[in-house]
Amino acid sequence: MNVSRRDLFRLGAAGSGALVLSMTLPGCASRQGREPSHEGGWAPNAWLELDPEGNVIFTLARVEMGQGTYTGITTLVAEELDIPPERIEVRFAPVGSDYTNPQYQLQVTGGSTSLRTSWQPIRAGAARVRHVLVKAAAAVWQVKSEQITTRDGAAHHPDGNQRLPYGDLVSLASRQSLPDEVELKHEDDFRYIGRHNRRLDARAKVTGEAVFGIDVEREGLVYAVVSRPPMQGAWFESVEDAEARKMPGVIDVFTIDRGVAVVAETYWQARKAQEKLDIRWDETDAVTKDHQAVFTQYRRAADDSSGDTERSEGDAMGRLEATDDRFEAEYEAPFLAHATMEPQNATAEVTDIGMQVWAPTQGPDMARIAAARVSRFSPDEITVHTTFLGGGFGRRLTQEYVEEVAAIADRVERPVKLIWSREEDIRHDMYRPAMLHRFRAALDGSRIQAWDHQITGPLIFDWFARNAAAAQYPWAPKFLYNTLASMGRMTEDTFLTPKDHSAIEGAVEYPYDVPDIMVRHTHADAGIPVSYWRSVGHSHNGFAVETFMDELAHQAGEDPVAFRLKHLADMPRHRRVLELAAEKADWSGPLPEGRARGVALHRSFGTYVAQVVEASIENQRIRVHRVVCATDCGQMVNPDVVRMQMEGGIIFGLTAALYGWIDWEDGRLQQSNFHDYTLMRQDETPEIDVILVDSDEGPQGVGEPGTPPAIPALGNALFALTGDRQRRTPFSAGTANA
Amino acid sequence: MSRSLRVNGTDHEIHSDGETPLLWVLRDELGLKGSKFGCGIGQCGACTVHIDGRAMRSCITPVQEVSAPVTTIEGLATEAGLHPVQEAWIDHNVPQCGYCQSGQVMSAVALLEEEPNPDDERIRRFMSGNLCRCGTYPRIHAAIRAVADGGDA
Ligand code: FES
Ligand code: FES
Repeated sequence: MNVSRRDLFRLGAAGSGALVLSMTLPGCASRQGREPSHEGGWAPNAWLELDPEGNVIFTLARVEMGQGTYTGITTLVAEELDIPPERIEVRFAPVGSDYTNPQYQLQVTGGSTSLRTSWQPIRAGAARVRHVLVKAAAAVWQVKSEQITTRDGAAHHPDGNQRLPYGDLVSLASRQSLPDEVELKHEDDFRYIGRHNRRLDARAKVTGEAVFGIDVEREGLVYAVVSRPPMQGAWFESVEDAEARKMPGVIDVFTIDRGVAVVAETYWQARKAQEKLDIRWDETDAVTKDHQAVFTQYRRAADDSSGDTERSEGDAMGRLEATDDRFEAEYEAPFLAHATMEPQNATAEVTDIGMQVWAPTQGPDMARIAAARVSRFSPDEITVHTTFLGGGFGRRLTQEYVEEVAAIADRVERPVKLIWSREEDIRHDMYRPAMLHRFRAALDGSRIQAWDHQITGPLIFDWFARNAAAAQYPWAPKFLYNTLASMGRMTEDTFLTPKDHSAIEGAVEYPYDVPDIMVRHTHADAGIPVSYWRSVGHSHNGFAVETFMDELAHQAGEDPVAFRLKHLADMPRHRRVLELAAEKADWSGPLPEGRARGVALHRSFGTYVAQVVEASIENQRIRVHRVVCATDCGQMVNPDVVRMQMEGGIIFGLTAALYGWIDWEDGRLQQSNFHDYTLMRQDETPEIDVILVDSDEGPQGVGEPGTPPAIPALGNALFALTGDRQRRTPFSAGTANA
Repeated sequence: MSRSLRVNGTDHEIHSDGETPLLWVLRDELGLKGSKFGCGIGQCGACTVHIDGRAMRSCITPVQEVSAPVTTIEGLATEAGLHPVQEAWIDHNVPQCGYCQSGQVMSAVALLEEEPNPDDERIRRFMSGNLCRCGTYPRIHAAIRAVADGGDA
């Protein structure tokens, strides 16, 4: 395969005699605008550097580390460069003025896109570097380039004896010209892609050496905590802080936009002083809806408005009206918190050149805007350094913690670290939106004839726009930020802002062969902040669609696997994973007494996943015994990383299915910590079998697709077990039969 | 007033107030950031350290109550190399985000010291105090199993 994008790569020499290839990678963003324009000067965002000592360093600007990205991207470089992945050092460059690329649109790590978008250009860049190294070796040995082979970080002479390590070739190589086109390796020749399985960050993470946001150290660091309004929409009124100020270690107490900040010499002193604050909040405009009230609002909206048509084939509405043999069901998915293990935090320091921010964030661009919004600095005076993230799952796409720490650092003028408690983290999250799903379907024997899916709930971009819209225009003056944000909302689905698929993704792609299909979205927003949550819309659409499919199979008197296959005649990749999972799970085989199986199939982020869950109910508790998961994610770079992402995604989904619940009473969030926002634990973890399908299609997302099918597969197993349909999460053990 | 605390074989003078949880003394006064803050109420195990060889939740242990020597994740490896549990963690590709893993490793080491060859049920129960939002549980179990079966913990 040839890659000819000369304008994406440049070769140069660095001070110490190193060779530097700079490249412009496409955005790793799920919401990305136009491609960068190259007319306005060279603005690379990735650098591959080889020095005479033999070090190989790959630096990525603006790309934040996600699950396995570090290992995956390094493997791509290693493959085309012919050097073991362990010998490459990956660095994440900060977002700051040095790295500013004004042509660039918003960049975030999310939507399981990192490997999908880097696959081609990173390999192409590394292949070009290999090419100039080989040319240099050819010049030294006076042989033809084609006769030279490369492996283990060295060029090998055709005589089979002599070798030249890359380090010895860099100075000569950096004077070669880059080829317009390079041949990428054929997959039969891969040494590392599809084979390399060691996580390169594992060692740092088992020795305590990995630096997360919460671990950032600065000389003279002080600590901050913030008391925020106890209800969404409540405002600060007044504070009595005399007692707090007397507490040991307290440096200052003051209000910021988001609440009341206490700054002290140590974190614990700040917490102790915070307890002494007496704050009055104005609750006049506070949101006082609970889960029930939200769903009452949604139902009313769904009754009143048929919503926007998102997909329409044939005449679903007509056919459904015309038949008496209509089958209907309604599903509820609640609000959910992210609960990353590392609570939200950030560190900031004002220096004579501006502000430095260290944050575990999925969106350093937006972090910069958030810091600028609340401080005296403009975005190009702010540098954002990213760290290891103690979990993301979408939580760190919004930047409230950066906004807070920047406002505080701007005032105290000492390096300051802000840490949220777990209670604050759960109560001030941006939640997975609660959604209402209504289905109507008509069956003809064992075939679905018509399918109508109405999704009711908010759009995430309404809440996300605040910093995101401004981050797309970093040169805009600060007073325009709010305008940009509302413009982002107003212009949704125009050339300025791409369409927000968050409510409908996983529903509009309904894969089954049905003549009349209608998918629609009715907008309803309860005023509760929402954001991206692992697998986003797929998390609730996967649950609803695959449960309703199971209901229809039951209605038709068909086996759930056979019923799905019957509607997948032209969908070979769907069929393949479904058949594999069913076979491996021994779908029709005998089961121990008191257990049942359920199945679900869902494609998200380009990846096809089928799961069979085996469950029972013991002592009024749901037990998940086994999950078989078949996955087709295209070409795999690190198969074991795919496997671990499936395992983690399944456990994330099962956690939502068993426990996930966020609710309010009188506007106050009831959950606060892990005793009442429960996560699956080791002793509840099922045996998980992951089957990976070999594929030569391009690599697809793996961080999220494991989550959606786990929820309906478990619900469908519980139906098979008890005869009670699970139409809302978390599932109930209901009438136990054991 | 200061008190003394033995951490990873070294004695330290501690100046934090006696009620300060050990976790924050380790992290902010001694600069040992390997032990993590996850919940502050003994629910997640991210802050697990050994006090007198036993796995304890340092977020709910006031430093004034600590009289025995403390071992943290930073004190696990020796001159000879990583602890076998750490090696097993790497071999099994356990960490994802990694944030919970210091606590997981410390709990696993304490388990294996108490009981070098635990059965599967015992591993499941003992390790249930350590949450992992990334869902690395199957690999944690496999890694502990491997160390136990290898008999070299
Ligand atoms: S931080 Fe100590 S148990 Fe969670
Ligand atoms: S590895 Fe992320 S929380 Fe356990």
